[in-house]
Amino acid sequence: METDEFILNMGPVHPSTHGVLRFKLRMDGEIIKDCQVVLGYLHRGTEKLAEMKTYLQFIPYTDRLDYISAMPNNYAYVKAVEELAGTEVPLRAEYIRVLAMELNRIVNHLVFMGSLLLDLGASTMIMYGFREREKALQLFEMLCGARMTFSYFRIGGVREDLPEGFIPKLNEFMNDMEKRITDYEDLINGNEIFLMRMKNIGVISAEEAINYGMTGPSLRGSGVNYDIRKMEPYSIYPDLDFKACVYPECDSYARYMVRVDEMRESLHILRQIVDTIPESNVIATQKYGVAPMTGMPYTAQTYFPRIFTPPAGEVYSRIEAPKGELGFYVVSDGTTKPYRVKIRSPSFCNLTAIPKMVVGLKIPDLIAAFGTIDVVLGDVDR
Amino acid sequence: MNGAEELKQSLPSSVISTGMQINKPLAVIKKEDILPVASKVKEMDFDQLSVITGIDYQDRFEVIYNFFSYRKKENLVLKVILDHDSPAVDSLTSLWKGADWLERETYDLVGIKFTGHPNLTRILLPEGWQGHPLRKDYDMDTEQFVTIGEDGEDIVSTDGSKLLRRK
Repeated sequence: METDEFILNMGPVHPSTHGVLRFKLRMDGEIIKDCQVVLGYLHRGTEKLAEMKTYLQFIPYTDRLDYISAMPNNYAYVKAVEELAGTEVPLRAEYIRVLAMELNRIVNHLVFMGSLLLDLGASTMIMYGFREREKALQLFEMLCGARMTFSYFRIGGVREDLPEGFIPKLNEFMNDMEKRITDYEDLINGNEIFLMRMKNIGVISAEEAINYGMTGPSLRGSGVNYDIRKMEPYSIYPDLDFKACVYPECDSYARYMVRVDEMRESLHILRQIVDTIPESNVIATQKYGVAPMTGMPYTAQTYFPRIFTPPAGEVYSRIEAPKGELGFYVVSDGTTKPYRVKIRSPSFCNLTAIPKMVVGLKIPDLIAAFGTIDVVLGDVDR
Repeated sequence: MNGAEELKQSLPSSVISTGMQINKPLAVIKKEDILPVASKVKEMDFDQLSVITGIDYQDRFEVIYNFFSYRKKENLVLKVILDHDSPAVDSLTSLWKGADWLERETYDLVGIKFTGHPNLTRILLPEGWQGHPLRKDYDMDTEQFVTIGEDGEDIVSTDGSKLLRRK
């Protein structure tokens, strides 16, 4: 039978594009022949804004890149500036940072599971995911007063110490979460429809995934044992016991399973932190600090100057964010404002591979494959 | 021996200087030789092109490539220096497919041309946008309005007269 090809626009406003993103699909009947991704609907010029803010003022803007997991965003930026300035961060502050980041990783993967299953037509998981996420968000609220846009990290440490009663509540959350992950697995992993929609869909081989610049759980789903926390250890990760979760199947199901396993690993990391967190300041004092007034608590405000000038230089610093490699290229010219900030966002680089994955598949498969890449459009468009 | 030194030994005529950038080996490359150098870098097992950064220094442009080797667990930074009037450098899309969007973004926001790129169009900003925002001389006082045309194309105007709803 003779068929005509036609162009189909999916998005910019579509429930399964997780924000404002447009796929321009060339279709032959139900088969995708070509896929073009149109971006930029959420572009806010974050990199330009960075050039007009002081180093401290830019921290809240990093929250708004990947707003599902803002703690790692904060960390990637302050880590870059700290490397530039050679700031030594107190050990307790590093423990609190890793605690916050791993908790955020669980939150991110809960939202991932919820939205993926919702895209596939199962609405139970998003209710479960958001129920547990709410408890984690309450923990974040105790920590810094905000639920999503934290701005909790400061150059040289964190803003405040752990509040009273935080650790018991965290323990409660972890005990609960351990059972919940098993529940999710019982609910989802053996489901026939889920397996048919995920297995052998959106296949990308390890070489191709590397060539396309994919990172994070999406790359580990292609069997590449690559985790920056292991490869280029930063913060306190060398002292912690955890493993990088790798699945060699290269399909959507593998990418999903990596994230489920990562939630368990994150819980394992959190337990170690709760057991071993040392006592010390939570903000660096050695270089830029002024002597504390007697009886004053150690806070970011008393120690860290608002106007802060790192020495001139350039640095590229990267971390393992929940979505992949998040890097900040910061150029300082020795003034109070950065000369240039370049954000290497994991969502943007992972999204590059989508056309490769979906050509030859059908539109519902595009939705399934796109869901397992786990992008946030604030992070893609910046 | 780090990656930058190794590169200098095998391609001495293409490498201008080597050094360290905080803790990563850095090599400054002649801009004409970026393609042969990059394929050599790929042979040296630096299989990940992490990020491409373009910087406007007002008298010159710099393009910085960050590489990582999964097997050797090493970093390598390459830098090319371009003149300010017509910044152009060869595209790496033939070696890394991930370079496609990174180069388009650098073109869009900094205005560096990547010769040999298969589809060098704007990626974050709409087609027809005036200026490249991350240049230091970008005019931030002129407002630009974007609306959508009959066939879904973006229409950019500075006076807002072509907007569908806003008059």
